[in-house]
Amino acid sequence: MFTATRAHAPSSLQWVSLLTAALLVLPTGYIVYVALTAAPTVWTRLWSTRIPELLGNTLSLAAGVALTTLALGLSLAWFIVRYDFPGRRIWEWALALPLAMPTYVLAYVYAHLLGMGGPAEQWWQAMLGPEARLLAPQSFLGVTLIMALDTFPFIYLLVRGALLNLNLSFEEVARVCGVSPWTTLWRVTLPLIRPAIAAGLALVVLYVISDFGAVSLLRYQTLTYAVYQQMTSRYDHTAASILSLLLVLMAGIFLVTERWFRRRSRFYQTTGRYRKATRRRAGPVGTAAITGYVALVFGVSFGIPAAMLVQWSMEAIGQGALDARFVGFVWNSTVLAALAASGAVMIGIPLAYLASRHPSRLNLACLHAAYAGYALPGPVAALAVLVLFTHFVPALYGTVVVLLTAYILHFLPVGLQSMEPALQQITPNVEEVARTLGCTVQQSLRRITLPLVRNGFTAAWVLMFLQTMKELPATLLLRPVGFDTLAIRVWLDASEEYYQLAAPAALLIVFLSLPALMLLVTKDWRGNELETRT
Amino acid sequence: MALFPRTIFALTLILGSLVGPPFATPPADAADKLVVYSGRAERLIKPVLDEFQSKSGIQIELLSSGTTELINRLQAEGDRSPADVFLTNDAGSLEHARELKLLRPMNMREVERAIPSQFRASDNSWIGLSGRFWVVVYNKNLVKPEQVASLLDLAQPQWKDKIAIPNSGSEYLQAGVSVIKATVGEDRTKQFLLGLKANAGTQVYQKSSQIVEAVAKGQVALGIVNHYYIYRHLAAQPTAPIAAIMTDQQEGGMGAIMNVTGIGITRTSKHVDSAKLLVEFLVAQAGQKLFADLDKEYPLHPDVKADPALVDRHSFRAALVPLARLAELREGTLTLIEQVGLR
Repeated sequence: MFTATRAHAPSSLQWVSLLTAALLVLPTGYIVYVALTAAPTVWTRLWSTRIPELLGNTLSLAAGVALTTLALGLSLAWFIVRYDFPGRRIWEWALALPLAMPTYVLAYVYAHLLGMGGPAEQWWQAMLGPEARLLAPQSFLGVTLIMALDTFPFIYLLVRGALLNLNLSFEEVARVCGVSPWTTLWRVTLPLIRPAIAAGLALVVLYVISDFGAVSLLRYQTLTYAVYQQMTSRYDHTAASILSLLLVLMAGIFLVTERWFRRRSRFYQTTGRYRKATRRRAGPVGTAAITGYVALVFGVSFGIPAAMLVQWSMEAIGQGALDARFVGFVWNSTVLAALAASGAVMIGIPLAYLASRHPSRLNLACLHAAYAGYALPGPVAALAVLVLFTHFVPALYGTVVVLLTAYILHFLPVGLQSMEPALQQITPNVEEVARTLGCTVQQSLRRITLPLVRNGFTAAWVLMFLQTMKELPATLLLRPVGFDTLAIRVWLDASEEYYQLAAPAALLIVFLSLPALMLLVTKDWRGNELETRT
Repeated sequence: MALFPRTIFALTLILGSLVGPPFATPPADAADKLVVYSGRAERLIKPVLDEFQSKSGIQIELLSSGTTELINRLQAEGDRSPADVFLTNDAGSLEHARELKLLRPMNMREVERAIPSQFRASDNSWIGLSGRFWVVVYNKNLVKPEQVASLLDLAQPQWKDKIAIPNSGSEYLQAGVSVIKATVGEDRTKQFLLGLKANAGTQVYQKSSQIVEAVAKGQVALGIVNHYYIYRHLAAQPTAPIAAIMTDQQEGGMGAIMNVTGIGITRTSKHVDSAKLLVEFLVAQAGQKLFADLDKEYPLHPDVKADPALVDRHSFRAALVPLARLAELREGTLTLIEQVGLR
């Protein structure tokens, strides 16, 4: 095999990939080093004061959001896939829209709507008397609900895809054998879509434990928020590193468990007779009930917040919020996001290419190293990059380079998830033919491979661009002088309760996120086509 | 054909060259530009800087961030720091910056004439601009002012779930705890903080404006804030049922906890003359009035009168702990805060 001969002499591409992987692991490694070499007194102090509370808060929030999104995502996907009712196609797309709303935007809208003296409370008290209280958005339940409203589409989309691909024959066999519909659902359908549920839950939980925007605006103490607070209130970063280490460990354990679980429950069902489930036409009562439910979830997760943002934006624009400064924020956001996305694609190419063409242990290890950024919440990525740069390349500190490094470290995994399958889809034969016909490696890469993977790479670029555009904690901590972005403006204004002023920037972020969402919905985010088979 | 990587590469280069200039070394001709690192809320400082900009023609570039974060930043940037001026609202942090040699000692007659020496660093490397007090804000419908004579009263169990406090990262809180600790000792301070923590529960806020808001809405009965947040809230909503209590005024009591907003020119500044113009502008009577009134703080210039809405400065006394000591007290305070487990 030519891979074997190749392994003896690492190509220049391999060196590039090795170097990249090393650079990507370095910041995290350094954080771990700082945390592990911290004085034991710092560890004991943190253990006896903050850590138990933070761990409890973070884990209970993750569990609460996971359960809520599971209930919402499963039920919505079931109705959308198995029933036919007027407007179904519109709802099918609309239910993905909450993903376009960053958590900090949803949090600030609800902090106002449900907060003390807010519109919802006034209405509530008008009905039930002045002593009536609503669920406080800052309480555990409030934060859980807000985060769940933002993340349930992960589960909805993946379960919907799995249900659409499900072979009805399994269910029919169960029914023919005399099993009741409920037992069929419980013992046949749900186990078959378990991989999709697990993947969705994994996304939700990672999202929750690494969220900074919502928990900071709602003052809910999680590990991620505590890392930020430690970074901004102490002169040394030891305590922040220790909390980061815990967070990275937590995310790591979680990712490994999810992978293991998914490997164990892999089902093959494409062989033999595939039959698609037919939709059951809902009667008038059923239609009303389903439409009511779907509309309620859509309304509270996207419709009402978006309407509030539009209303506030109009008021803010009336007060002259769209001035030259605002244009500057848009420009800063765009430039930073474009640079980060382009840089990440270029860095990702050698990693993804080698791992899919020559999947040696070394090349796969390089790829996995890049995925390590997945387990790095924003403040931790910022801390890692900050500590590393200040110790080794202080000349670059305070420049855009530091911020871009943090972005790439943080978001490269998102891009790799589109780039890797794009490369895997072309068979190596095509390249080999090109080589036999006299092309050099570079020529075959340029004329065969790259044109074929263009779509996947474009998707990767767009996804990373938009993630960067929304990014908050690393930008807050690392932005150079005069480099405020849209996300920063939303957070700064919202945290001072200037709801109207924050709205135009928030609305623009939501609007710009829509194209990325289309990519997510039309394509399974892991790269496989979500076929609707109609 | 291979459009994609080339486009991206070109795009990166173009964008890179576009953002290049602002973060490369400051251009030599930028003599009329000042970079201000500010630890104050942006809307409390921007109007004054805008006024200076239009009067002097010196362009101001403002980076608003957390105070401690900015000190970390100045330190990390070292000689390459683009900052000319460091302005923040905690004397302890300013003194700490001085100890780290981040600030430049100054010899300015205008400053010495305008600002009394207790509000300046010994070598004038930072200069106080306005004073503020850490006070109790209460909801008039829920509390009578005579129920709280001292800040330490807030630790009593009767206030369980009725008070709101700033989070432990707040430099005000840290400075306040330092003063209490220097006055009543470590043990009593610890008891106080434990009680405060239990009483506040989850009502721990990032911003003082949110505490005042919570008190005004009756979500909590009391809060600890800088006095000006109360008056700024009242200026916007005159009917809000809130007022301030100047605590610890009893015979032999600690006195109200004072802190200042101050300014220093960085050691590495390459625009010292412009920076001095800014400092002069801020300590002169007109600047003092503008700066203090905008934030409803007390001007430090003895001849400039505070906003009439504020409690008369001569009607209460301040704690005796010198501002410059806040820096040396801070480490112990942070340890204490962490031992207690304040959020």
